[in-house]
Amino acid sequence: MSVAAPDKLGDSLITVEHLTMRFGGLVAIDDVSFQGANREITAIIGPNGAGKTTLFNCLTGFYKPTVGRLTLHHPRKGDFLLERMEGYQIPQRAGVARTFQNIRLFPAMSVLENLIVAQHNALMRASGYSVAGLLGLRGYRQAERQAVELARFWMDRTGLTDRADIDAGNLPYGDQRRLEIARAMCTNPVLLCLDEPAAGLNPRESSDLNALLRYIRDEHSIGILLIEHDMSVVMEISDHIIVLDYGRRIAAGTPEEIRNNPDVIRAYLGENEDEPLPPEVVRDMEEER
Amino acid sequence: MTERSATTSPVLPPLDAVGIVREAGLTAFVVFALTFSLVGFKVEDVPGGLDIVTRFDQVLAATVLAFTGRVVLILLHKRRHLPVILVGLAIAAVILGLVVAARGAPESATAAWLPFESVVVNVLVAVAALVLAGRAAWSAWRRDVGVSDEAVELAARVHKAAIFLGPLMLGFAVVLPFLPFADRRLLDIAILVVTYVMLGWGLNIVVGLAGLLDLGYVAFYAVGAYSYALLAINFDLGFWVCLPFAGIMAAFAGILLGFPVLRLRGDYLAIVTLGFGEMIRVILLNWYEFTKGPDGISGIPRPTLFGLPFTRTDPDGGETFHSFFGLTYSPLDRIIFLYYLILILALVTNFFTMRIRRLPIGRAWEALREDEVACRSIGINPRNTKLTAFSIGAMFGGFGGSFFATRQGFISPESFTFIESAIILAIVVLGGMGSQIGVVFAAILLIGLPEFFRELQQYRMLAFGAAMVAIMVWRPRGLLAFRDPTIRLSDHDTAPEKQT
Amino acid sequence: MPANVTRGGSPVNCKGFVMEYFLQQLINGLTLGMIYGLIAIGYTMVYGIIGMINFAHGEIFMIGAFVSLITFLLLGALGITWIPLAVLVVLIATMLFTSVYGWTLERVAYRPLRDSPRLAALITAIGMSIFLQNYVQLLQGARIKPLPPVISGGFRFMKESDFVVTLSYLQVFIILLTITLMLVFTYVINRTSFGRAQRACQQDLGMAALIGINVDRTISLTFVTGASLASVAGLMFLMNYGVIDFYIGFLAGIKAFTAAVLGGIGSLPGAMLGGLLIGLIEAFWSAYFTVEYKDVAAFAILVLVLIFRPTGLLGKPDIEKV
Repeated sequence: MSVAAPDKLGDSLITVEHLTMRFGGLVAIDDVSFQGANREITAIIGPNGAGKTTLFNCLTGFYKPTVGRLTLHHPRKGDFLLERMEGYQIPQRAGVARTFQNIRLFPAMSVLENLIVAQHNALMRASGYSVAGLLGLRGYRQAERQAVELARFWMDRTGLTDRADIDAGNLPYGDQRRLEIARAMCTNPVLLCLDEPAAGLNPRESSDLNALLRYIRDEHSIGILLIEHDMSVVMEISDHIIVLDYGRRIAAGTPEEIRNNPDVIRAYLGENEDEPLPPEVVRDMEEER
Repeated sequence: MTERSATTSPVLPPLDAVGIVREAGLTAFVVFALTFSLVGFKVEDVPGGLDIVTRFDQVLAATVLAFTGRVVLILLHKRRHLPVILVGLAIAAVILGLVVAARGAPESATAAWLPFESVVVNVLVAVAALVLAGRAAWSAWRRDVGVSDEAVELAARVHKAAIFLGPLMLGFAVVLPFLPFADRRLLDIAILVVTYVMLGWGLNIVVGLAGLLDLGYVAFYAVGAYSYALLAINFDLGFWVCLPFAGIMAAFAGILLGFPVLRLRGDYLAIVTLGFGEMIRVILLNWYEFTKGPDGISGIPRPTLFGLPFTRTDPDGGETFHSFFGLTYSPLDRIIFLYYLILILALVTNFFTMRIRRLPIGRAWEALREDEVACRSIGINPRNTKLTAFSIGAMFGGFGGSFFATRQGFISPESFTFIESAIILAIVVLGGMGSQIGVVFAAILLIGLPEFFRELQQYRMLAFGAAMVAIMVWRPRGLLAFRDPTIRLSDHDTAPEKQT
Repeated sequence: MPANVTRGGSPVNCKGFVMEYFLQQLINGLTLGMIYGLIAIGYTMVYGIIGMINFAHGEIFMIGAFVSLITFLLLGALGITWIPLAVLVVLIATMLFTSVYGWTLERVAYRPLRDSPRLAALITAIGMSIFLQNYVQLLQGARIKPLPPVISGGFRFMKESDFVVTLSYLQVFIILLTITLMLVFTYVINRTSFGRAQRACQQDLGMAALIGINVDRTISLTFVTGASLASVAGLMFLMNYGVIDFYIGFLAGIKAFTAAVLGGIGSLPGAMLGGLLIGLIEAFWSAYFTVEYKDVAAFAILVLVLIFRPTGLLGKPDIEKV
């Protein structure tokens, strides 16, 4: 199988080649290859257990892939081989940020603090690895002010400014989801990996999220990888979709192509096509058409 | 609170007498089973072997008291205040009366009626009965406030007060040596308390901020103490020269120990650090050529004020502290100097912690405590971040250790047992993790109070252990667990932004 | 703890007889290891079910030793001197009375904290450990308590050389009793309803509660089981070394915990295996290296295991869920 060529124009940002991840006897990802482009939203969909989150964990260094190459083409710094890097270096050097399926904030720290911590590496340098900071030097105070401004920018964007000084753990669910995205953006990434950002959101919040993701893609010129189950989100905002099933890539293409792909329909609805579809599935499919 | 009027005349459900007796009976049975073996029989050393004596009267007393106590607690829970008050007062009156009557005549018939052999235990039972009665009276008066609500309310109030309490306590600490009641004994206790406050603050960086459970903190205390002692004796260096060395040595030990183990999860880390603490002690004990083993190191130089010793006369014929300042010699001078020395060390620790909390590294520590996975996802290097916390905490432990060495003038591995680590950790956790003022309260409570009751020496550690359990069960997050954000948006709302 | 002066063992420093000396240490180490293994089971069961280190478990072992001592003295005073009967009575008494301590420990100190931060439970456990040590010290005195040997004599073999290898009757008793207990215990865990409930709770406490398992009762029974096994270890310790004091729980507890980690915490066979290994290592370390550093050996092993194989020998690998 050859490396998948980008199906759509746009600078390639992430290239995944022959990625395989095994846990003992279980093959969670089986020889998956794809590319994600800059300024595009690439959605990764598939039934539960298809290996989507495992793919993210490989990309962001939480797992070491069994086989495969993950190359990030950083627009300014050149290429990074992600599978060779320590987990924390991937956001720090290669500029890959992520969110988690079950939100992982710093619950006892305030919203603002969550966003300041995300700028840790820049601030560490500015604080002279704490020495200048301990002495209260001017340079550090300047850097901290800039960090607050960046945080404030993203709080404004995500509608969290009013809650800046509240503990993140006390935020409502939807706010926590957005805060996690804001925190990821505060690391100044070139690739943003979002793991089910719309899970548990109500329709209004969901459409706000769509707007936010489009804004990030268009105005900040970065690539987004998106795992999502909510088809209304996926179909509406993604430029490119990869479908996984049982760890394999079964389809790739534009939303239109995916919608009509028989393999995808079979993967989602099962082999037995004589059985009548549940009414809510029929409704969903019609709505999307 | 708004329902106060509605609950002024609550209709109490009827009591289930059989159920109460059954529950109290169960408690009494458990207490009987607990006490029968270890209280009921005592192994006595007699010439040529062991003998056994019985104390069934005390088993009986404990069982009866457990039964009564359980009934009283159930009644209190069911808001039957009057019987609780009466029974509590009655028990307290009888026991205290007997204690007073039996004073000076331990073999008398009156003494035989006392439930327990030990006066302390008797008094404790009486006090417990009084506390229960008082609690019942208090709830009867307040009516609507449940027992647990009171605790939360009280803590919230103390927590608010903590903001101005800090400077107040600092002021008191500064003038303490000059207060009329400050004698040698009080100052010794104060030095001890402040030492533990300092160690607590040092460990708070590791446990409270970075969330690393360190049960071997005493190892760094020991490294600091031995570094100072050995440097001072072998190279004839003064306290102030050695102090930074001792800190660096301890920090270095922290890095050395921390490097392999810091990736372990909470409880495992605790046990491994405990292991390291014990290893260092065993090494100190057995490396005789270097540490003099169990004999310890004596003749450690006392600290001087810029070279002025606090002795009556200087052995080298130079100036001493009192002659230089034209004061009359007082042996208390040295104690006061030591007190200020440790106070300054403690304040430096506090200042450092407060400051570093607001720096990126401090925030990264707290973030690491909250969620290590999330930290990695935003590019924080967990290992280095943990190592800095561990080694900085160790450094303050080392400072504390060299103070300990100079104060005692003698150190041996005996002083650096696991129990010391447990005490320091208990101070941090009981005070409320990450809370600086909580450490002060906990140190006063756990170190200061028992010191005043030296007569009860044998009960000290028993009470210490019980207090650790009781406070944790009562408030699992510590006495004063609260956290201020290290940065607020309002502090940074700059003018240009407001214009837009 | 005087490891190489156990009653059963012959005196050391007979290094001319390599094979015999080795064999003797093997016997001593296995005996010691069985004691550690019995304590380790308590750690591993509690950790498996509520995910906390029951720091006070070593103290339960110590209480077991004291209850055994008291019962022995009592039987002596009552004139019951037929050894098998006396040992049986002591065994039952110590299991019974010590398990009450195990039950109370969980009920008073751990149950209220089950949903609290793990740190709180650990502090409570340390507090309980300090409390129980001082409780026993106050009630029974701080001095070391010696007990004259109850079971003496033994099998001697390799008599042709000057160094006689001895397998004492006491060691045979310890080994047989441990094996019996392990068989009973394995049956209980695998075949009884308590065992099923215990295993279910170990998998998922919340789910077990949902399908109608009485979680509180299962946890209580876990503590009772762990305490009664530890109390037997206490009895063995008392008979093996002949001296106890209120402080024996600390080191024995740490070593047994090390054994549990070495075997793979949560794994019951692992606890026994770990115990045996720790016992052997300690015996051989004392015999061939230095007695002074034998306690360091246990800690060093703990550290090495945790660094290089955190799941222990028989533990299940633990994949980080993100």
